[in-house]
Amino acid sequence: MRNCPATVARCRILVRLFLSFSALICSPAFAQAQQNNSHEELLQIPGEIGRPGGRLVVSLRGEPKTLNPLIAADARSREVIGVMQADLIHINRATQLTEPALAKSWKISPDGLIYTLVLRKGLKFSDGQPMDADDVLFSFRVYLDENTHAPQRDLLIVGGKPIAVSKIDSQTIAFQLSKPYGVGERLFDGLAILPRHLLEKPFQEGKLGQIGSLNAAANQWAGLGPFRLKEYVAGQRLVLERNPYYWKSDAKINRLPYLDELVFLFVPNADAQVLKFQSGETDMISQLGAENFSVLSRQQNGYTVADAGPGLEYNFLFFNLNDLGEKPSADLQRKQKWFREVKFRQAVSAAVDREAIVRLVYQGRGTPLWGLVTPGNKRWNDANLPHPVRSLDRARALLKEAGFSWATGPNGESTLQDSDGKPVEFSILTSSTNADRSKMAALLQDDLKQLGMRVQVVPMEFRSLLDRVTQSKEYDACIMGVASYDADPNSDINVWLSSGGTHLWNPSQPHPSTPWEAEIDRLVEDQMSARTFDQRKKLYDRAQEILAENQPMIFLASPDILAGAKNSVGNFHPAVLEPYVLWNVEQLYLKNGRESPAR
Amino acid sequence: MMRYLLRRLAHSFLLVFGVSVLAFLFTALAPGNYFDEMRLNPQIAPETLVALRAQYELDRPLPLRYASWLNSVLHGQMGFSFAYNSPVAPLLLARAKNTLLLTVTATLLAWALALPLGVWSAERLGRLPDRVISWGTATLLVIPDLALALGLLVLAVRTHRFPTGGMVSLDFDSLTASGKIRDLVAHMALPVAALILSALPLLVRHVRAAVAEVLHAPFLLAAEGHGIPRFTLLFRYALPAAANPLLSLFGFSIGALLSGSLLIEVVMSWPGLGPFLLEAILARDIYVVIGGVLFSTIFLAAGNFLADMLLYWLDPRIRTESASR
Amino acid sequence: MIRRRKLAIWLLILGVLHAIVLCAGFFAPYNPVEQDRKNPYLPPMRVHFVDTHNHLHLRPFVYAFQLRPGTFDQYVEDTTRQIPLHFFIAGAPYRLLGFLPARIHLFGAGDERIYLLGTDAFGRDQLSRLLFGGQVSLLAGLLGAGFTLLIGWCIGAVAGYFGGWQDDVLMRLAELFLALPWLYLLFAVRAFLPLSVNPLQAFFLIVAVIGAVGWARPARLVRGIVLSAKERDFVRAARGFGASNIYLLRRHILPETSSVLLTQAAILIPQYVLAEMTLSFLGLGVPEPVPSWGNLLSNLQQYSVLVSYWWTYLPALAMVPFFLGYLGLASALQERADPYKIERRSLGNLA
Repeated sequence: MRNCPATVARCRILVRLFLSFSALICSPAFAQAQQNNSHEELLQIPGEIGRPGGRLVVSLRGEPKTLNPLIAADARSREVIGVMQADLIHINRATQLTEPALAKSWKISPDGLIYTLVLRKGLKFSDGQPMDADDVLFSFRVYLDENTHAPQRDLLIVGGKPIAVSKIDSQTIAFQLSKPYGVGERLFDGLAILPRHLLEKPFQEGKLGQIGSLNAAANQWAGLGPFRLKEYVAGQRLVLERNPYYWKSDAKINRLPYLDELVFLFVPNADAQVLKFQSGETDMISQLGAENFSVLSRQQNGYTVADAGPGLEYNFLFFNLNDLGEKPSADLQRKQKWFREVKFRQAVSAAVDREAIVRLVYQGRGTPLWGLVTPGNKRWNDANLPHPVRSLDRARALLKEAGFSWATGPNGESTLQDSDGKPVEFSILTSSTNADRSKMAALLQDDLKQLGMRVQVVPMEFRSLLDRVTQSKEYDACIMGVASYDADPNSDINVWLSSGGTHLWNPSQPHPSTPWEAEIDRLVEDQMSARTFDQRKKLYDRAQEILAENQPMIFLASPDILAGAKNSVGNFHPAVLEPYVLWNVEQLYLKNGRESPAR
Repeated sequence: MMRYLLRRLAHSFLLVFGVSVLAFLFTALAPGNYFDEMRLNPQIAPETLVALRAQYELDRPLPLRYASWLNSVLHGQMGFSFAYNSPVAPLLLARAKNTLLLTVTATLLAWALALPLGVWSAERLGRLPDRVISWGTATLLVIPDLALALGLLVLAVRTHRFPTGGMVSLDFDSLTASGKIRDLVAHMALPVAALILSALPLLVRHVRAAVAEVLHAPFLLAAEGHGIPRFTLLFRYALPAAANPLLSLFGFSIGALLSGSLLIEVVMSWPGLGPFLLEAILARDIYVVIGGVLFSTIFLAAGNFLADMLLYWLDPRIRTESASR
Repeated sequence: MIRRRKLAIWLLILGVLHAIVLCAGFFAPYNPVEQDRKNPYLPPMRVHFVDTHNHLHLRPFVYAFQLRPGTFDQYVEDTTRQIPLHFFIAGAPYRLLGFLPARIHLFGAGDERIYLLGTDAFGRDQLSRLLFGGQVSLLAGLLGAGFTLLIGWCIGAVAGYFGGWQDDVLMRLAELFLALPWLYLLFAVRAFLPLSVNPLQAFFLIVAVIGAVGWARPARLVRGIVLSAKERDFVRAARGFGASNIYLLRRHILPETSSVLLTQAAILIPQYVLAEMTLSFLGLGVPEPVPSWGNLLSNLQQYSVLVSYWWTYLPALAMVPFFLGYLGLASALQERADPYKIERRSLGNLA
């Protein structure tokens, strides 16, 4: 071998590399990483360090029906699925911003059409099987499959076309949209990555709907969430155990979750849930009503209750503005003439005593609302929206301008009449099972009595009500409440769009029936494809203002998010987005560690 | 006798069949279906709902749906639950056992309490014990079932002696046999108490009325004259004579074994048919509801049949009637 | 003698109670739908005769309540503000017995508000709501129970008397009625009723429907009694004398059923009054803002109300005398119809 300087240099470099490499192998950090399986890339999350071990017991207001995200239609199943599955990009419920989850990084192409996500390495499902891009591909294929009718399918149709998913390599996937989508990577939140090794065969046989039943053996189902199935007793409880392959760790590189077991007790009655929490049989409680919160906050022995501030639920009154053609009775036609008059709706809004609603229905734990976006949604709330004070005089002035007048009845009370002399009477539908909205209806009834309107409150069982409002459209007015599932306005897109199914006062229009609805349609479509947050906010603010000018929905109030936990539960930080207390379940721990209260 | 039995059996069969047809009709009359709730979900498009309805055959005409449901009954499945995506029969059976545990205990105890209370009340008609029992009955009638159940739960929380709902503790499987029994009894105490308290007014008043009527009968005077002790007089002479309406009521108690405890099970989170059926009713999971209705009908028919048999056996006056035919 | 006086006493008691409810407008100080939003869940005001300075007042008075600052529903008596009670005072107009316009109330406080039984979630006077609520509830209870008993009686009598196939058919029909899920039918009825129907009328329609459907239990009870009674010796004897079926039924057999029917009536009326609570859970009950005993009591079905606002129990306590009255009346009527008619004096230890 000739002693060529280049070769010698190369050898030196090689030796140095070898030495540093062996030093690296022997270093403690690497040793620890070795413990965690040398190729695994864990997501390290900040926060209080907790103690491992223990069992947390929570109550569920009903029973989950299935563990399969493709058929889960009810809220209880979704709550349970949420702690057993994981998504590519997750919305942090506390900050309301996106953060990496199964995908450790992502890039958006300059034209906004292609999202390239890079997965973490070495991830495993809860049954120990490895996870890679093929599972992601499979999951999206199943979500988009036309014969499965998964509820997630419509989320993945952007600009009328389904998202195209392709694999770049075993750790990288590309998602191609047909139009730029302002929502961006928030799209991926909640879309669980499913185990291909368990589901591919049933999918090909068309039997996907039968997988993931709660009765199935624990080893027939797997997910990437912090917990996996341990035991299910029909009607009583669901016991989950720690997923030993979970891909998150705390700041000290301890693998999460801290808890050994998570137990869901099925308690169908809200008051029974409160009693169970008070007696110490459950460790946390969420979705507390205001009255029960007051009762619990009076004697906080061993537990704390917290008010997380205004949530995303908005309650509103709306009128029947459907275009019913020849069908409606003369009665309904006459009423619709009143409802279509903007000043009528503005007068009703001016007469509503929102402060009383917050005080009497929510015991002060709520905020009055004048728009769709609640103050709990800090990023999207329009601070410039007018908040007019309640004024019966202004309401009366508006009615007078619209051609209404008052007549004195036989008992001395004044009745409002329209320009034809007919008294103004209509009914407000409300769901009989929702106590809060029934109370709001009673308050509204009294408010409108002061204007001379005779309002009947008609409580109706919820599905009959839905049928009337969305199918037969034979109603006058209705009080409804909707809880947005995400802070981003896109989660309510079907309320905004005139063609939307939840545009309740006049749903599924073939084309917008009023100029302002057309304007809102334009604004909302534009903000969907706008690229920057500021652009979107400006468009969205303008849409909110148009809504406030025309009052198709008269917004009433929004309740605060109320929750409670035993003092022995650590890292309890209720959020205003669902799931309110279990969003950080992997970080929850018991301060007594392994001596958890096993009852 | 045999012919009568067979005839009754055939009638009960027809009854169950008739109930199934009418129940189908009723559930179709009420507006709305299972998938309506998803209408309010802004994420799901209306087309998906239409497709789901078609997939679960909700848009086929009623007679066809009934025929396919009948077919599934014959295969032991009793239809398909939309919510659970599985056959109805195993779901119902698992929970029916728990309900029966509760209601059989409560019914037996309620009758065991009502008979002595009613007899005592009738014996001391108009005097203090009767007055006290009347006040008690009136007060119980006024308290709504739900408030009663909640009140008992509050008692449990305050005294820490009873579990607040549920059927067993979390550590049930690790207990010894006697520990398991004790745990179960502790959990059953409150729901059973609530059921008994809500059933007592009706039973006590009827026992009282029936026995009071019979107490003036000549044959009792004669028996008393013979020196028969009071306890025997009341329970072995008077009560059987007064048994006629009570047997019919007992038949109803049997008939209500599956359906009478719905609300209380919900409040006490007892894993029986109550919470399950209530949720299915409100969610329009129709095959579950029809399955539940059928189960209850079977109990109802059995209860009335038992009452008729007992009536026939105990009341010789009815026997002479059929003998003379 | 004793029996007749007992009957008269119960009739008197019930009569007075019902009269108070009928004239609710006079006895109640306020209109039951008036809201007082500043005073939700106010506890009952205590009536005093002696004030804090130990002065005796001939006219009873109450102290106004102040909201404790920082709380939503905790009140303290404000001993600086006395509100005297005035009797036979003019107040909100009402119609006595439904048609006589009047303004005099038994008691009141002029422009101030007194709440002897406290207020509800909207600040409405519980006493006024209790009195007016009785009108709706008692009518619903009597109507529903009346329908049920009438239909049940007829069907049970026919089934028991004629026996044979009539008995079979009618009893299976009874089982059918008991087994069917009427809930869905009721949903359908409510859903199909046009919204312009006054919800109160809709409520009474529902009660009539429930009454008409609930005949199965009384029918079975009556049928059992009739089955047994028609073979009694005195009935056979009368038949031997040529009595017709109608005569036998009317004179000999149906009186046997009176005990069962009266007991059923005394139980059914309260049950129908309270059935309204389940109905309102399903959207079929008495609508806002009309008060009824059912919706007053339904507040008790919430844990927070059960433990925080004890005065919501008071309507239940007020109902006890009514139900006790019905039970007593039924018992007294039963004694009057006693078929054995032996003087109680000679019964010795048995009664």
